[in-house]
Amino acid sequence: MNGDILLDAREVTVQFGGLTAVNAVDFQIPTGAIVALIGPNGAGKTTFFNVLTGLYTPTAGAVFFDGRSVVGLAPHRIAAMGMARTFQNIRLFGAMTAAENVMVAMHPHLKSGVTSTILRLPKQRREEKAARERATELLDYVGIGGTDEEFAKNLPYGDQRRLEVARALALRPKLLLLDEPTAGMNPQESAAFTSFVRRVRDDMQLTVLLIEHDMKVVMGVSEHITVLEYGAKIAEGSAADIRSNPRVIEAYLGKAATEGVG
Amino acid sequence: MTSAVAARGGRLAKLGLVNSVGLVFVGLGIAWLIWNIVDGPRLFARLLVGGLSNGALFALIALGYTMVYGIIELINFAHGDLFMLGAVMGAIMLEQWFGQTKSSPTGWILLAVAMLGAMAFCAAVNVVIERFAYRRLRNAPKLAPLITAVGVSFILQNIGIRINGSAPHSRTSVLPTKEISVGGVGIRVAYIVVIAITVPLLLFMTWLVQKTKIGKAMRATAQDRDAARLMGIDVDKIISFTFALGGALAGAAGMLFVEVNRRTSYDLGFRLGLIAFTAAVLGGVGNLLGAVIGGVFIGVIQALNDGAPHGLGQEWTQTVMFSILILMIIFRPGGLFGKHAQEKV
Amino acid sequence: MTIIPQGARSTWNSLPPVARTAIPAVLLMALAIAGPQLASGPTGWLPITTLVFCAVYALFSMGLNIVVGYAGLLDLGYVAFFLFGAYVAAWLMSDFWYTRSIHILDAAHKVIDPTTHQPVSAQGIHLSFWIVMVVAALVAAIGGVIIGWPTLRLKSDYLALVTLGFGEILPEVFRNADFRTVSNPDALNLTNGTKGIGPLDPIGNGFLRHLTNGVIPKAVTPSDYRAKYYIILIFVVLFVYVSIKLRGGKLGRAWLAIREDELAASLMGVPLMRTKLWSYAIGAAAGGFAGTFYATTVGIVNVDTFIFSFSIIILCAVILGGMGNVWGAIVGGVVITWFNYTGLVWIGEKMNSALGTKVKLKDYEFGFFGMILVLMMLFRPQGLIPAARQKQVQELERQIEQQEVVPT
Repeated sequence: MNGDILLDAREVTVQFGGLTAVNAVDFQIPTGAIVALIGPNGAGKTTFFNVLTGLYTPTAGAVFFDGRSVVGLAPHRIAAMGMARTFQNIRLFGAMTAAENVMVAMHPHLKSGVTSTILRLPKQRREEKAARERATELLDYVGIGGTDEEFAKNLPYGDQRRLEVARALALRPKLLLLDEPTAGMNPQESAAFTSFVRRVRDDMQLTVLLIEHDMKVVMGVSEHITVLEYGAKIAEGSAADIRSNPRVIEAYLGKAATEGVG
Repeated sequence: MTSAVAARGGRLAKLGLVNSVGLVFVGLGIAWLIWNIVDGPRLFARLLVGGLSNGALFALIALGYTMVYGIIELINFAHGDLFMLGAVMGAIMLEQWFGQTKSSPTGWILLAVAMLGAMAFCAAVNVVIERFAYRRLRNAPKLAPLITAVGVSFILQNIGIRINGSAPHSRTSVLPTKEISVGGVGIRVAYIVVIAITVPLLLFMTWLVQKTKIGKAMRATAQDRDAARLMGIDVDKIISFTFALGGALAGAAGMLFVEVNRRTSYDLGFRLGLIAFTAAVLGGVGNLLGAVIGGVFIGVIQALNDGAPHGLGQEWTQTVMFSILILMIIFRPGGLFGKHAQEKV
Repeated sequence: MTIIPQGARSTWNSLPPVARTAIPAVLLMALAIAGPQLASGPTGWLPITTLVFCAVYALFSMGLNIVVGYAGLLDLGYVAFFLFGAYVAAWLMSDFWYTRSIHILDAAHKVIDPTTHQPVSAQGIHLSFWIVMVVAALVAAIGGVIIGWPTLRLKSDYLALVTLGFGEILPEVFRNADFRTVSNPDALNLTNGTKGIGPLDPIGNGFLRHLTNGVIPKAVTPSDYRAKYYIILIFVVLFVYVSIKLRGGKLGRAWLAIREDELAASLMGVPLMRTKLWSYAIGAAAGGFAGTFYATTVGIVNVDTFIFSFSIIILCAVILGGMGNVWGAIVGGVVITWFNYTGLVWIGEKMNSALGTKVKLKDYEFGFFGMILVLMMLFRPQGLIPAARQKQVQELERQIEQQEVVPT
């Protein structure tokens, strides 16, 4: 553990050919915090997530997770280090059951090899049993208990979102990245989700970073907010700071809007 | 999807290694080329012309592959077999329907007719294949249309077996067999004819794709199918048209092939088709000019490998060709001229 | 379009998972053991030779099922592992390396020494069949890793093409690996080129012979197809077990995750290259086993028998049975092989005598296999066998039908 900054991103820049998707962004997340990354569509938020998780290599900049540099590491290594995520468009493993989906994310922590699996050695059987039990626990925890043997593809939308969270939690993450987790939710669901995020952070002792468009959720749960526009950071601060920041309002609503706001 | 994960180039040192190994292979290739030139310049020139002629045919086939891949991201495994059917049908039309077996002005005119016939036939077959085998699977996971294409390839080969027989069939040709001498080097007239026909065809294709409205629609659909649809482009029609064009090119290549080489076999398409696809990959799949250059390049390499003093001989051609394919795909999947674009996730 | 009615299917899906595995297992075992009894004479509907080949191809099919069915990697060059297995058998169970004489628990025939008129051990390297099977599987697995290492990072269509390329190159290399000429008779010769290597030693039963006090002969006579059938059946059963065990564990889940969504899999901690290489290695091992057995059954190894369409035929079997379904792979392998070796001819004859036509059905085998691939992909991508994992693919079907975009 590196003091109290879990994730330290410095001057991260991502260019696709001529387009600069992320522009020299500095970003720190203190351990145990719930922070949000917001900005209008196309601001580079998901691209930034992809840099953190190792899908993209930044054109420039550095990222330190739990004290170690993660730029250039394969995504599965970063995941094993404790960074888990959910997706904007749900990406579950449709042909597998809910329990199996969750168990996939236990891969880095399961130690049995091919031979012990084939020979059904006691160590492997115990490990599988424990994994199964943990999957059931996680499914219960996120509120879809009993769906263990349902195929992920058949679950209703809301349950699928929860399954994605359960799967991410199976990685025993230190940092949980949630990409637009309340997309498609109604106000009650969003409110329930807001308290859920706090509960997860407290129960699992992790840190949360969310990308969100729903301002109620953002303002309601985030301890710190960073705003991106066209790939660059234009503001950061507490919910109160951001709410009244004219630059932020301009980014979302256009210049005319700031003229009407006090 | 994979290229986003693999093309991270995150292991920056590794990227350097990959590039240097690639350069080593290119260097070796050039050295081999020069070695052959030095040890037999007359033979080299002779083989070069043959290679250019075959290369022109490969270019036609490669163009068909690349056009289809550009527009629906599908490697149409059956494309080579279309070329085979074009050769077989063209030969039958010319020999049996028109009764032309010798070189003569009438023969040449009817060759043109037969070629157009072969082109029309292959275009029609390709459109039918797209309509019934591929269209439904346009949005299915990648594995499905690939497997279907393999299946279609087999069906076409069976048709080839029925029409052509399972053994190679020798054919007559209306092209003259004589050679002319240029600077002491003997050059087959047939090769010159092929090049003379292919070049205008390729130029026509370029004009079609670059300068016409339908060509623009093709390019738009290739770039972004949904946007094209929103712009009012009838995407299904454009895709059918692309398949028709690709088929026509394969048919033309088939007709010319049989006139120059005087034989057809049912597995011609499978073998040559994959070689042509190597050419398409060499030029950058989706890159039309690249396909042409790649085709010519591959044709020359094949001719040299078969006949040059330091070639490995005909029995190693497949290996050489596929080794090039494999090396290209591994080291430079974007082709010699392609760009390595990172995919957006 | 479905073949099994809805009511039957939902009943099946409501059975506990153990039953869903055990019932097909028991049924297939019963059928398999009864196999030779069901066999007909050489001109009937199921010659014993065809039955043996059905079992061999079932093993090939299960191997490819691991690569294509579980991990979703379209390998069109599976023939490579068949080749490795067969040539390892050729090298280690024949007189090919005649300058040496190495014998380990083998069952090779003795030859009569022309000068002493006494039986002596044959030249060449002769290992016991059982040892060779293991060696061949290892060689094939290593070959799989070597082929896989540079190619498994590629997109699915390029992977298909590259593996197809390997499937073309390797037979050509084996065909050309005889560099002897009239002027250079001592050049390197690894394969005898198109002449092939043979005959191969029979399968040795030494151990069983001791056990049964001489009742079981020392070696399987080349014409004893019943015995050969039961021997390959052992390997089939073993591989079914391995397949199921792996599928139910960490590796199987990793494979399916890669097949479903490779990107998400890597983000959930699944190491892509390592997992894909394992699928290649295990699939290759199956190919190696089957290739060796095939070689000893046929008795000679000649590269021209490895028709290029082999890889496609095995793919056909996996698709027909249902990708990712080990029982489907077996059924697919058996059905396809039956059609290939006997069925087309037999049905053709029956049809001709019934309808008075003169059609040679075997002439249409390419089209037949091609049609299977196309029709299966268009109408029933999940295969003929109702697998437990049905609903997701029905959803896929429905979406294809309605031209919806399938989330990847």
